[in-house]
Amino acid sequence: MTLYHYLALSGLLFASGVFGVLTRRNIIGILMSIELMLNSANINFAAFNSYLYPDRPLGQVAVIFIITLAAAEVVVGLALVMAIYKNLKSVYAEDYNILKG
Amino acid sequence: MLEYVYILPLLCFAAAGLILAFGKWFPGKGASIGIAVAGFNFAVAATLFFKALGGGLQLPYEHSIPWFSFGEHLATLGVYVDGLTIAMLIVVTTVSLLVHIYSLGYMHGDPRFKRFYSYLSLFTASMLGLTITSSMMVFFMCWELVGVCSYLLIGFWFEKPSAAYAGKKAFITTKLGDLGFLVGLLALFYCAGTFEISKILELAHANALPIAAAGGAAILLFFGAVGKSAQFPLLIWLPDAMEGPSPVSALIHAATMVAAGVYMVARLYAVYALSPAAMNVVAWTGAITAFTAASMALTCFDLKRVLAFSTVSQLGYMMLALGAGSFTAGMFHLTTHAYFKALLFLAAGSVLHAVHSNDMREMGGLRHKMPITYVTFLIGTLALAGIPPFAGFFSKDEVLAGALARNPYLFLLGAVAAAMTAFYMARAFIMTFHGKPRDAHKHDHAHENPATMTVPLMFLSVLALISGWALAHGELFEHLVNFEGALPFELHHVSHGTVALVSTIVAVVSMGSGLWLYRFKPEIPAALREKFSFFVDMLEKRYWLDAFFLMWVDIGDWFSRFLFVFDFEFLDQMAIDGWAWLTLKLGAVQGWIDTYIVDATVDMFGTVSLAGGRLARTVQTGFVQNYLLFVAVAVSIFAAIAFSG
Amino acid sequence: MTEQIVFYLLAGVIALSAIGVVTLSNVMHSALCLGLSLAGVAGLFAVLGTDFIFAAQILVYVGGIAVLILFVVLLAGNNSGGKLPRQVNRQWLPALIICTAFIWAFYRITAVYAGSTVKLPPTASVRGIASIMLGEFAVPFELISIVLLASMTGAVLFGRRKPE
Repeated sequence: MTLYHYLALSGLLFASGVFGVLTRRNIIGILMSIELMLNSANINFAAFNSYLYPDRPLGQVAVIFIITLAAAEVVVGLALVMAIYKNLKSVYAEDYNILKG
Repeated sequence: MLEYVYILPLLCFAAAGLILAFGKWFPGKGASIGIAVAGFNFAVAATLFFKALGGGLQLPYEHSIPWFSFGEHLATLGVYVDGLTIAMLIVVTTVSLLVHIYSLGYMHGDPRFKRFYSYLSLFTASMLGLTITSSMMVFFMCWELVGVCSYLLIGFWFEKPSAAYAGKKAFITTKLGDLGFLVGLLALFYCAGTFEISKILELAHANALPIAAAGGAAILLFFGAVGKSAQFPLLIWLPDAMEGPSPVSALIHAATMVAAGVYMVARLYAVYALSPAAMNVVAWTGAITAFTAASMALTCFDLKRVLAFSTVSQLGYMMLALGAGSFTAGMFHLTTHAYFKALLFLAAGSVLHAVHSNDMREMGGLRHKMPITYVTFLIGTLALAGIPPFAGFFSKDEVLAGALARNPYLFLLGAVAAAMTAFYMARAFIMTFHGKPRDAHKHDHAHENPATMTVPLMFLSVLALISGWALAHGELFEHLVNFEGALPFELHHVSHGTVALVSTIVAVVSMGSGLWLYRFKPEIPAALREKFSFFVDMLEKRYWLDAFFLMWVDIGDWFSRFLFVFDFEFLDQMAIDGWAWLTLKLGAVQGWIDTYIVDATVDMFGTVSLAGGRLARTVQTGFVQNYLLFVAVAVSIFAAIAFSG
Repeated sequence: MTEQIVFYLLAGVIALSAIGVVTLSNVMHSALCLGLSLAGVAGLFAVLGTDFIFAAQILVYVGGIAVLILFVVLLAGNNSGGKLPRQVNRQWLPALIICTAFIWAFYRITAVYAGSTVKLPPTASVRGIASIMLGEFAVPFELISIVLLASMTGAVLFGRRKPE
């Protein structure tokens, strides 16, 4: 297995995350897509760390940071989703347009 | 004393303002002020008069102060007093005072009593100013002011349309003459280079004026006198002016203002004396006036109008005398006429006040009802008819003598006019006071008037009785008023006694016939009236003079109408409206350019901005994922650029 | 050989479930796919020999985030049961093009690592990670803990019932 395979997988994962962010109507779906993109980054970090700099686990530290941030992001994001849902009774992103001019 | 003579008109001016503004706080609603001022003026004038007669005054007296300068010329305010001035002054102040007193009774109870006295004072002020001024410019101003007062007082009862019309007629007719006066004044200024009367007279006496120009100026000035003194052909306004109150008729339209024209000619007599043409114009105008006006009075039934025609006729005598070279006679006649004509008018006013009518056909038999008026009117009649020894005899005699000395035809006209005068006065007298009352109702209500009206009558009767004799005696008046310059023509020698005899015979005969005809054979005049209805009509229409002037008015009217139509239909339509049309069309073109080119350019920017905004607005969907897509696209493009190199 | 089989297996699971996350119309299914995908990623970490982040991935992602999302889907998702409305918006075609282009470009770029096969045998890395995190990365470590605290506070704040 080469590093290239990992990067290819992570690219695919990232692209599907981007696609999800751009196309999902459901706000929860968008959040999930963001998780996909973060995971693709995680794969990259871990793979680079293992293949290129195996002596120091800096990539893994980065992954831990990302996981932490992702957890925080999901917590806040979902809380926001719930708050918005309570007000607007909708989970569809295009309904969140009260700032539209 | 002469130094303060300027106070007289100023005092009257002040009185006029005072009466108008604060009259109601003074006794007699302000009449007291007017009478006090008039009395003061009379006292001063009488003092001056007697001093001057006694030779106790240094004449002529002149004093003036600079008023303003134009170019190198100086206009002044000042007084110029000579014998002529004093003669005029005494006439004006006497009649003014008596009319002031008389009006107390006559105007009693009038709603505009205060205003009447104010006007009287204003008139007196203007007349005095005109009399004593040293400058022809101030003379002209006062001349116009008396015209204004005349207008105001003729139309004093302006509720009556006829009074308002008469006031208007008087004003416009005299203005016609004043036009000539103004031009003449400027011509005179051009000749003499000054408005100062004393300097003008000096130059005229020294023969330093160009004769033709001075004569022309004099004739033009005489136009003013023709208007003011109601000479032929501008005499039409004076009979109508009788619409005013009788005291006004006495003061303004008999004694003083109408004499202003005569006074003006006398004032500038040296200038007139330069030119035989001017003298002839004055003389013949006067003679024709005397004749025509006297003839008009023959058929008139309005008592006051008879007197008005007689006034015109007598003014014609004065002009005749002046034009014939008898300066003293003219002024003498002015003085005596002022007294007896004022007397007649006031007496007539007294009758009017009693019977409330002007028409002699509604009078008759009033002599027992109004004895004082009757006697005073008789005295006035005799004076006017020229019966010795009344005032009119002396002055008219001198006038006729002067006319004969100049030209027998002038004398003839004057003599015929004198005969007619005696006749129509007899007629008026008989119709008013004798015979049976023709209107019983009016006759019953008639009564003698209060003392305020009869006392002036009596005073004036005395003057009408004695003034002629007293002033002619010892050539007293001639010492006061005399013309020392040379006349432009020779005068024939005339036997004074012959003229006096002839004129007396003429007057007595015609008066006697008049008295007899109207007292005992009133059917004869009526029959004559029937027979010669054409002439009666002619006389009643005043020789169609009114029609003649109204024709000019009509022509002017028609011409104005024509001009109006021309202006409206042609000038307005073609020029003004044409321009408007052209402007409109140009405006439309410009409007098109403006709308479709200029505005469109401006609008284009707006439209483009709007369209751009609308276009850009579509990008701003308010849809977050849309934005993200753009971000992604942008990132892709940058990446493509970054990595393609 | 075993490693290759495991990798492709995991890769297939990850790819398919990721595509499922972004394409399935039922959000509940998407969330389950997400869990599967995250678990697959954890498996990859295991293959790579990074044991600590394998454990962290399982704990945080699969055990925490995926479950949390499932809860939210149950609370707010459109679980009406009937025919769901479209779950994909109208810009899917440009997005697809962009993503395809991205994948192609990414493959072009990362092709430089095609030959990098040198891979050390997996060793326990917890000690190393700990020394780094408490050593040179001490400040970010503390900061990230503050971020976590803040996010937790925020979540509580948002989720709180509004005082009437």
